[in-house]
Amino acid sequence: MNETFDPDAFRLQCRGWLAANRPAPPDFVLPQSMLAVGTREQFEFLREWQRKLYAAGYVGIEWPAEYGGRSLPSGAQRIVDQEMARANVPFLLNAIGLAWAGPTILRYGSEAQKRRYIPPLLAADEIWCQGFSEPEAGSDLASLRTRARRDGDDYVIDGHKVWTTLGHFADFMILLARTDPETERHAGISYFLAPMKVPGISVQPLVKMTREGGFNQVLFSGVRMPRDALLGQEGQGWELAVATLSFERGASEGSGGGGGAGELLARFIARARDLSRDGRPVLDDPVVRDRLASFAIEEQAMRYSVQRAQVPALVADRPFALPLMRKLVQSEIAQRLSDFACELQGYAGTLWVGDPRAFDDAEWQRLYLNSYGVTIGGGTSEILRNILGERVLGLPKSK
Amino acid sequence: MVSIRYEDEHALLRDEARRWLAEHHSMEYVRRVAEDGRDDGTTWAALQQLGWHSLTIPTTFGGAGLGMTHAAVLLEESGRHLLTAPLLPVLLGALVIERCGSDEQRARFLGEVVRKGRIATLAHVEPSGGWTVEATSVRRENGRLRGEKWYVWNAQSADLFLVPFREGSNGATQVAVVPATADGVEIQAETGLDPTRRSGRLVLRDVSVADADVLTASVNQLHDLLPRACVWLAAEMAGGADALLSMTTAYAATRVQFGRPIGSFQAVKHPLVNVLIGVEQLRSLVYAAASAIDAEAPEAELLARMAKAHASDVYVFAASRAVQFHGGFGFTYDCDAHFYLKRAHASRPAFGDGAYHRQWIAQHLVGA
Repeated sequence: MNETFDPDAFRLQCRGWLAANRPAPPDFVLPQSMLAVGTREQFEFLREWQRKLYAAGYVGIEWPAEYGGRSLPSGAQRIVDQEMARANVPFLLNAIGLAWAGPTILRYGSEAQKRRYIPPLLAADEIWCQGFSEPEAGSDLASLRTRARRDGDDYVIDGHKVWTTLGHFADFMILLARTDPETERHAGISYFLAPMKVPGISVQPLVKMTREGGFNQVLFSGVRMPRDALLGQEGQGWELAVATLSFERGASEGSGGGGGAGELLARFIARARDLSRDGRPVLDDPVVRDRLASFAIEEQAMRYSVQRAQVPALVADRPFALPLMRKLVQSEIAQRLSDFACELQGYAGTLWVGDPRAFDDAEWQRLYLNSYGVTIGGGTSEILRNILGERVLGLPKSK
Repeated sequence: MVSIRYEDEHALLRDEARRWLAEHHSMEYVRRVAEDGRDDGTTWAALQQLGWHSLTIPTTFGGAGLGMTHAAVLLEESGRHLLTAPLLPVLLGALVIERCGSDEQRARFLGEVVRKGRIATLAHVEPSGGWTVEATSVRRENGRLRGEKWYVWNAQSADLFLVPFREGSNGATQVAVVPATADGVEIQAETGLDPTRRSGRLVLRDVSVADADVLTASVNQLHDLLPRACVWLAAEMAGGADALLSMTTAYAATRVQFGRPIGSFQAVKHPLVNVLIGVEQLRSLVYAAASAIDAEAPEAELLARMAKAHASDVYVFAASRAVQFHGGFGFTYDCDAHFYLKRAHASRPAFGDGAYHRQWIAQHLVGA
């Protein structure tokens, strides 16, 4: 623990570093998030950026120093996240590692696993992807069918994973597979840290509605991996998967990556000054102004909810409400805001990336289409409302 | 970004308020007050014993001298129980005197509130519904006050009215302290939608007001009151909305139709989660705004207005879902939900509804 941590000084230092080290824009289109890293040049550009940030001490900074972090106090990562969003610099490539795999390994991994996997994850030397969903197991994740069979000192994997972001570049996958086919649903599932660069794995691209790449399906056919690829115990996979998803759904404070709705709103208002309708600035329209104020209220409410979540006495009534609602609410705000940004452009909102006349190179249209990746991925909004209703409000389960 | 300050002392105050209200302020009591048409004053007397009425009055004048957050804590709990006693009106009235009066006026009027339990209430809403400093139409000419104020909380039981007025036809707005017993004061009961918080009309017919009874505040000091009023009312509304959420959730978990509790249907569950989200967001805004005001942070007014805007929408939404999800029972007088629905509607225009504040917020975000 760094006793002398000064948040204001740290913020200024971070701001200064980002201003001085912001990468020059490449001559290709950069993806808006890790969900759309399609080409090798995008991948290498972003990997280089994370390496540089890590070397400067801005990645995994709240993570334990013995595993490559900096052990800075809680809140330090939030400052970096806010400054990165403010500076509008590229995101961290290894977002799945930082938000999901890393925190799960830190909590449930053996000492050897933590030492083996965490440092290269932070440095973007090893990239992670996630293998939870299957063609027949989406929101109903526990119905997954991928098998992990013990064979001597190995596990042998057979199955089919989908929606695998970064699957074509990844070195490892957090993989859910069934170790016990006799046990129904949850109890037979185990959690693996599966190597991807091994024989028997076939990664096939899926094309998103934006026509961007980065989305895959992964087929496992007799893939062998060592026994120590297992995280936790056999049969503990469901518990670990729930933990992983809870990191993603809000507790991922400290993982880095991603600007909040606040930065998005501020950026949009700045850009909307150039938009007009019937010769009048759209920002003069009282209806538009009312909508923007509503977004601002929700955005501030979420920003202060993150802070309130750190005050135990103020969340004592429902301790899990704020962490569990964060992803749900943020993703829906971002979707409505980017939709509104499309609407306010009028006809210009019908142009797409590549058209020289498109407003902001159709960034807002692309954000809007991509926003569905977040309201669907990592637990759909509908499933999350079930979870909040059941776990926080105590309502009976939905069938 | 403001730091939300909420310490052990706030949590202790909340627990104390919860205990007291649960024991002494049941819904049966609220129903009795609603049906009798008046509060018998015993609750108010008890609250004075607890010191709630003078919580934020400076210690120099005999109060506890505590901050916005302390009051927000009490008001959130009060809102949960639809407190019928005039806690919010008196905290606001005392605030007006404290921030707008001279030392002599504070000592005199706050002393009456603290020691004699006098009810001081703000009478700021014009018959037109205008309520801002600029909207003031009550006039003082030759030392005599003339005009009407409507929608005055606890008008019938109030001892002192705090009345914004203009000197002559075009003077700046100031605040007069008018005793209910003064010659020319008539108080007319309003038949209100919300029977748990009574209001009335104050008719002023050439009421003599000496300069010593006119608070010395500047217009800016009057403007400073709005964020505080917004936060306190929003805190009360957050408590009400939270009570509705608990009540409706409990009902949905036990009411069985089609062989299952109705709360297992997503058509019920998901809107209740939307209420939950609204309530949780609202509480974050309320405590952020209260901390901001206590810290005199520059974003205090923005956060306070956001809190009131959000409260106006969230409370009404929570109440509408409560009535709806209680089904046929929800439509009856026997179900408690309608009392909250009425309080939500009555609270909505007070100190500005959602659209009103969003106009200001947009101005703040975008510029003119």
